[in-house]
Amino acid sequence: MFATNYHLQRKKRMNTRTQGEPATKTTDNRLAVAAINRRMAYLLIGLCGVSLMLGAHTIAWADLSIGSGEAWLMLTASRLPRLVAILLTGIGLAVSGVILQQMVQNRFVEPGTSGGLDAAKLGILIALTQIPTAGKIGQMLLALAFCLATSLVYIAIIRRIQFKNTTLVPVIGLMYGGLLSACAEFYAYQYNIMQSMQGWLLGDFSKVVQGQYEVIYLILPIVAVTYLYAHRFTVMGMGEETAKSLGLGYTTTAAMGLMLVAITVSVTVISVGAIYFVGLVIPNLVALHYGDNLRHTLPTVALGGALLLLACDIVGRLLVYPFEVPIGLTAGAIGGAIFLALILRGDQR
Amino acid sequence: MISVRNLSKYYGARQVLSATSHDFPPGQITSVIGPNGAGKSTLLMLMARLLEPSQGQVLLGQDDATLMPINQYAQNVATLRQSPGLNMRLTVAELVAFGRFPYSRGSLTQDDHRMIDEALNFLSLAPLRHAYLDEISGGQRQLAFLAMTIAQQTSVLLLDEPLNNLDMKHAVHIMQSLRRLCDEQGRTVILVIHDVNFAANYSDHILALKAGEVQFSGSTHDTIDESLLRDLYELDFEIMNNKRGCVCDYFTPRLGASQ
Amino acid sequence: MLYSDKLDSNRHNSNRHYTQKLSCLLLLIVALSLILLLAGSGLDVDYIIPKRFARLTAIIIGSLCVALSSIIFQTLVNNRILTPAIMGYEAVYLMWQALLLLTLGTHGLAMLGTGGNFFISLALMLVYSWLLQRWLLGQARPDLYRLLLIGLVLTMVISTFTQFVQLRIDPGEFAVLQGLSYASFTRANTDTLLYSIIAVTLVCVIGYKYWPELDALTLGQAQATSLGVNTTQLMRLYLALIAILVSVSTSLIGPTAFLGIFVANITYALSASRKHRLTLPMGCAIAMTLFLVAQLLVEHVFNYRTTVTILINLVCGAYFLMLIVRTRGTL
Repeated sequence: MFATNYHLQRKKRMNTRTQGEPATKTTDNRLAVAAINRRMAYLLIGLCGVSLMLGAHTIAWADLSIGSGEAWLMLTASRLPRLVAILLTGIGLAVSGVILQQMVQNRFVEPGTSGGLDAAKLGILIALTQIPTAGKIGQMLLALAFCLATSLVYIAIIRRIQFKNTTLVPVIGLMYGGLLSACAEFYAYQYNIMQSMQGWLLGDFSKVVQGQYEVIYLILPIVAVTYLYAHRFTVMGMGEETAKSLGLGYTTTAAMGLMLVAITVSVTVISVGAIYFVGLVIPNLVALHYGDNLRHTLPTVALGGALLLLACDIVGRLLVYPFEVPIGLTAGAIGGAIFLALILRGDQR
Repeated sequence: MISVRNLSKYYGARQVLSATSHDFPPGQITSVIGPNGAGKSTLLMLMARLLEPSQGQVLLGQDDATLMPINQYAQNVATLRQSPGLNMRLTVAELVAFGRFPYSRGSLTQDDHRMIDEALNFLSLAPLRHAYLDEISGGQRQLAFLAMTIAQQTSVLLLDEPLNNLDMKHAVHIMQSLRRLCDEQGRTVILVIHDVNFAANYSDHILALKAGEVQFSGSTHDTIDESLLRDLYELDFEIMNNKRGCVCDYFTPRLGASQ
Repeated sequence: MLYSDKLDSNRHNSNRHYTQKLSCLLLLIVALSLILLLAGSGLDVDYIIPKRFARLTAIIIGSLCVALSSIIFQTLVNNRILTPAIMGYEAVYLMWQALLLLTLGTHGLAMLGTGGNFFISLALMLVYSWLLQRWLLGQARPDLYRLLLIGLVLTMVISTFTQFVQLRIDPGEFAVLQGLSYASFTRANTDTLLYSIIAVTLVCVIGYKYWPELDALTLGQAQATSLGVNTTQLMRLYLALIAILVSVSTSLIGPTAFLGIFVANITYALSASRKHRLTLPMGCAIAMTLFLVAQLLVEHVFNYRTTVTILINLVCGAYFLMLIVRTRGTL
C-alpha cells in the first residue's frame, strides 16, 4: 500500500511537470529550479570562501598576494584539497542516493541505509590486514567489489519482500549495514585495530591533504555519466514493468546505476570515511519541492549535497575551535535529524 | 438500560458525530445502520469507552458511564471490535477465559469455568476449545471472540460489524446466536451492521445514522421502509415481504428513481 | 471429537515440555555459572572467586532486566520487533552519562556517588519513557516499521551526540572514547550491584501484581479496555518499570542492542504461549544462558580477542535481519 502510495505521489509530481497544465506549469518549475540553483551556487561560493579561511592557522591574504611560500603551501597542500574533497563527496553522495532511490523505488534508501557504506568499510579493512601492500588503489578496488556484491544482495533481499512498506526497506538496509559493521568489528578486534578503524572510518576531512585524496576526482566523471543517463534513471524509478514497456533496458540501466554508486561510495569511504544520511536527505528535500524528474533536478541535488556537507564541515570546525569535530559526526547528527523530520512528516499527509 | 445524551465527537474541526441522543431498548437487538462515514463505529466506540466524547454523556441506567471505574463498566458492557488483533497464540478456551477477566483477573474460579463452558456450548464451540486461534477458520475465530464477550456476562453487548468477512453460514450462525442471547437471556445487543437485510430480519430496533446525525430510529417494522432507506442510502429500494421475513432489494435500482 | 482429543493431548504435552525446557535451561545456567566461577581460579576464595561472583551477579541481574523489559515492552506495543533498546532507551542513558561527565567532571561525578547518579539517571529515563508514550505510542494506528525506523535513526543520532559530548570531554583522545559504549560485565562495582538488586526486586514485586492485566493486553489495547483493564494507567506503570530495568541493565552491562529481540522471540517459540506467567521466567533463563555462553566464549575460546557486544551484535543482528526477511514484511 505504501509502495503504491509512493508511486502515486511520484506520478502526481511527475505529471505536474511533464504533461499537467502544460507549458506554464513546466516552465514555472524550471524557472524555480533555475532560481534556487543560482541562489545555492552563490551560497556555495560564499561558504567556500569561509572554508578556505578557516583553520588552526589563519592565512593572511596579504601574505598570499606577496607570494609568501608558507601561506601558499597551506592553501594548496591542505585547504584547497580539503575543499575539493568536501564538494565532490557531497555531490557524489547525493547523486548516488538519487540513483539508489530510483532503483529501489523507495525514498528512504541511500548508501548508508542499504549497507553500501558498511560494505566498503569492511572491504578496506580486509585489504588493510590481508594485503597490506595493496595501496590506495588496491584498497579501493576491494571496497568497490564488496560494495557491489552487498548491493546486489540487498536488492535481491528487497525484491523478495512482498509488502514494500516505505519504511521497511530502509529498516532492512540499516540492519544489513549493522550486521556488516559487526563483522568488521569482529574482524578488527581480532587484529587489534578496533580503535584506529573507528577513528579513520568516521568521516573526517582533516586528514585530506595533497597526495592523499586525488582518487576523489573519480566522482567527476561519475556525476557526468549520471547526468547523461538521468532520464533513464527517472524511467527506471517508475518500476521495472513500466520501464520495460517504455523500451528501457532495465537490467543494463540498473547494473550501470549500481556500478556508479559503488564507485562513488568506495571512493568517498577510502578518502574521507563513511558519511551517513547526506545521500538521503538532499534528494528528499529536493523532490519535495521540485519533483522527481532527474534531468531537471540533478544539478540541484548535486549542489545541495555539496552545500550540506560544506556547511556541516564548517560547523564541525567552529564548534570546538581550534579542534574540530569529524564531519561524520556533524553530518550524521544534522542529516539524521532531517531524516527523522522527514519520517515524521510522512504520516501527516 | 444504556442510552446516549447529546453525544458528539470532533477530530479537530471535523465533526464525526454531532449531538446524538438515543435510548437503546433493553433486552432487544438494536442495529445501527447507515452509509460509510456516518459515525456508526464512532458511536459504538464512544459507548464502549474506547474513545473519549468531545461532548455529551453515555448513561448506564441513571449513571454517567465515564465516571464509572473501567473494571466495573466491563462487568456491564462488553465490546467486540472488528478484526481483533491476532499476533498471539491462544487456544479458543484461553481466549474465552479472558471474558472472565473483569471478575477474576485471570485466576479462574469454579464459577468462571462454568460460565466459560456455557459460552462455548452456547455457540457450539466446545469441540474446538483446545484448538489454537490461528488454526481455525475466520468464521470460527469470530465465534470464539463472540464467546469471550458472552462469557463476560454483561447486560449489554456492543458489536462492531460482527459479520465482516464472514461467509453466509457463519453470518447466519452469529445473528441467530445474538437473537437467542436476547430471547433466552434477556441481554441488550447493539451492533453496527452494513448488511441491511440482516438488520431487517434479526433486529427489533433500528438506529439510522447519516453524516454524524440520527436520520431516523424506531422499531424494525416501522423503519424498514422504502422511502426511509432510499433517503438514507441514496439508493432505490424495493422491500418484499414473505413468510420468512423480508428482503430489501437495492441491487438493481430502477433508472431515474434515485439521483 | 477425535480432532479435539488430539489437540487436548498436544496441549498437555506442550505444558510438560515447557517445564522440561525450563528445567534444562536452569541446569545449564547452574553449570555455566560454576564454570564461570571456578574454571582456572585455583579455588582462590580471597580474590578471584569474589571478583568473579560479582561478575556473575551482574550477568544474572542484567539478563533479568533485558528479558523482562523486552518482553513486557513488546506486549505494550503489541508486536514482536520493537524493544526498549531499539527505541533508543540505551542510547539516551549513555548520552546522559556522557553529559553528566561533561558538566560535573570526574570529580563531580564522584561527589554525586553511585546512588545519586542512579536516581538522577532513573528520573531522566522516566521522562524519556513519558515522551515516547506521548509522542509515538499514543497514536491510534502506529505503523510498526515506521516506529522501527524512527528508533534506529534516533539511536544513531543520539549516539552521534554522545560521541560529540565525549569529544568535548577530551578532544585530544577522541579515538579512545568507546569505553562507555561496550557491554562488559566487569564494570559493575558493589554499590551499583546493590542498588540494582533493590531496584529489580522492587520492579518484580510491583510488576507481578499486574501480570494478569499484561496477559489481557496481548489481545490488543481496545479489547483489553473492554475487558475492564485501564490500559492507559497500565502502560504508564509498565513503561516506568521498563525505564528502571533499562537503566539498571545499561549501567551493569552496557548497551545490548538486538539481544532483546532475540531473547523475546526465542522465548515465544520455546514457551509456545504469550502468557506472561510462562514467558517471563523462560525469557530470563534464555537471556542468562546467552550471556553466560557469550562471556565464556570470550574468556575461554577467543581469549579476550573479541567482546560480548561484538558477539551479540553478530548473532542477534543476523537473527533480526533473518526474522524480518523471512516474514517478508508481514509482521
